[in-house]
Amino acid sequence: MDEQPANQASEGQDAAVERSLYAKREKIYAREVHGVYARLRVLAVLVLLGAYYGVPWLTWGGRQAVLLDLPNRQFHLFGITFWPQDFFYLAALLIIAALSLFFFTALAGRLWCGYACPQTVWTEVFMWIERKIEGDRPRQMKLDKMPLSARKIAIKGGKHAVWILFSLYTGFTFVGYFTPTHDLAAKVATLSLGPWETFWIIFYGFATYGNAGWMREQVCIYMCPYARFQSAMFDRDTLIISYDEERGDPRGGRKRSVDPAEAGLGDCIDCTLCVQVCPTGIDIRDGLQFECIGCAACIDVCDEVMDKMGYPKGLVRYTTEHAVHGEKTHVVRPRMFVYAALLAVLVGALIFSIAGRVPLEVDVIRDRIALYRETHEGLIENTYNIKVVNKDQSRHQYRLSASGIEGLELINTMGEFTVEPGRVLEVPVRLRIDPVNIDRASSKVDFEVFALDNPEIAHVEPARFLGPVLK
Amino acid sequence: MENGESTIPLIQRIVAVLWPSFLTAGLTTIIVFTLYDPQIVFSCVGGPEIARLGAYTVGFFFFWAINAVACVMSMYFCRPCSKVRGSVS
Repeated sequence: MDEQPANQASEGQDAAVERSLYAKREKIYAREVHGVYARLRVLAVLVLLGAYYGVPWLTWGGRQAVLLDLPNRQFHLFGITFWPQDFFYLAALLIIAALSLFFFTALAGRLWCGYACPQTVWTEVFMWIERKIEGDRPRQMKLDKMPLSARKIAIKGGKHAVWILFSLYTGFTFVGYFTPTHDLAAKVATLSLGPWETFWIIFYGFATYGNAGWMREQVCIYMCPYARFQSAMFDRDTLIISYDEERGDPRGGRKRSVDPAEAGLGDCIDCTLCVQVCPTGIDIRDGLQFECIGCAACIDVCDEVMDKMGYPKGLVRYTTEHAVHGEKTHVVRPRMFVYAALLAVLVGALIFSIAGRVPLEVDVIRDRIALYRETHEGLIENTYNIKVVNKDQSRHQYRLSASGIEGLELINTMGEFTVEPGRVLEVPVRLRIDPVNIDRASSKVDFEVFALDNPEIAHVEPARFLGPVLK
Repeated sequence: MENGESTIPLIQRIVAVLWPSFLTAGLTTIIVFTLYDPQIVFSCVGGPEIARLGAYTVGFFFFWAINAVACVMSMYFCRPCSKVRGSVS
């Protein structure tokens, strides 16, 4: 409530503040880095993008290895076909992915951001293209300051052309996960793409071009939810990138021959290279900031400088808050056990259930009109609808049987039936029994369905048999 | 929160509407259309005949739009009450 006056007072300043904030962001020209972590990131880029662009071309057992076939609503994953009925697996997979993120964040901080996030990975490629065409950081800055000329247009146009081509191929690959890649490639070659496929190639391509070419660090700062909440998963033992203030300060330039102790200086020569290489444009020496994506570019470049100066490496390094304050770091801590145990259980359960997955689903639906019926012969009859879902990739012929009560008779007018892959068949059946054989109002019965060509594809579904109690 | 929305750049506000709704639209699309065939949903509501990929696409953008409306409303309700009154009078 007491905010009100403050609000009114600030009203006048608002316009000014907003105007300054609406100012075009200052473009960040990240300097190229070489070093251990840069090489690691290049490796991650090659592996991840290699997988992304390569996987849709893989075949497995005569069909595309990974195909989320939306037009046919089947999901092929290395020889296993999932149907919408297998939704449970998808949910489990999402939970596992979320837990892994918690686990790795608590353990090693923003590993995901620095090495594996699609935003980082594609930005890396886009920056590489930019460097190949426009030149290194100083050249890029010079080019941007240059007045418009034919040469500038040619260079900038060339860069965007390559970016757009690469983005469109990225979009094509994306669509290739949802419709067969080989068909898609043939359609592109003959210019006979469908309207929706065209739309998604352009849409995904445009998103890639915009995010990796233009938005870059703004995606991490403004759009990424993980950047905001990852601090909740951090503790004082989480791996972070930090500048060693005690060792580095006071900062200042000096000649190599000068002994810093005598000059009253720390190890930081204030060359600002760590700022120049930062893809989000922050100064790591200001402390831990949420903009830091943990890419370690500043570590690489600072180590290089320390080498040149003849100082020990690691003025900026991977460390923990505990270590920075001279305390012991505990890698093994309770939350690690909890995350690891949960992950192990979930992954184990998922693998176990996929390995033991039977591509057959049976549902028993009781007739809702009558609980039971008495026949002329004085027998008790229950009516059911048996829903049989064939989740295999080939058609099967099935046999249905019922058991559970002595003298139980199954009346199945369809006999043995065939179900096409991915199809559902409803089999209306009746169960009939002499009432002397039942001793309760509701007895358990089992329906068993199995494939004639493969008895391992079998499913037993329990149901209730209702009838009058005579005893 | 106390600092008010004046400190939030426009780009951040636009992103705050479009981006969360995009993410949840993706999730909704996965969940809803795994359970229900979008093509059937489409014909049930009397839509024109459409390819399944098209039905997925239209569904996705529909969810995005609906979720964006929720985000805009959240943003609106996050404004300080006094300011809302002030702008009316």
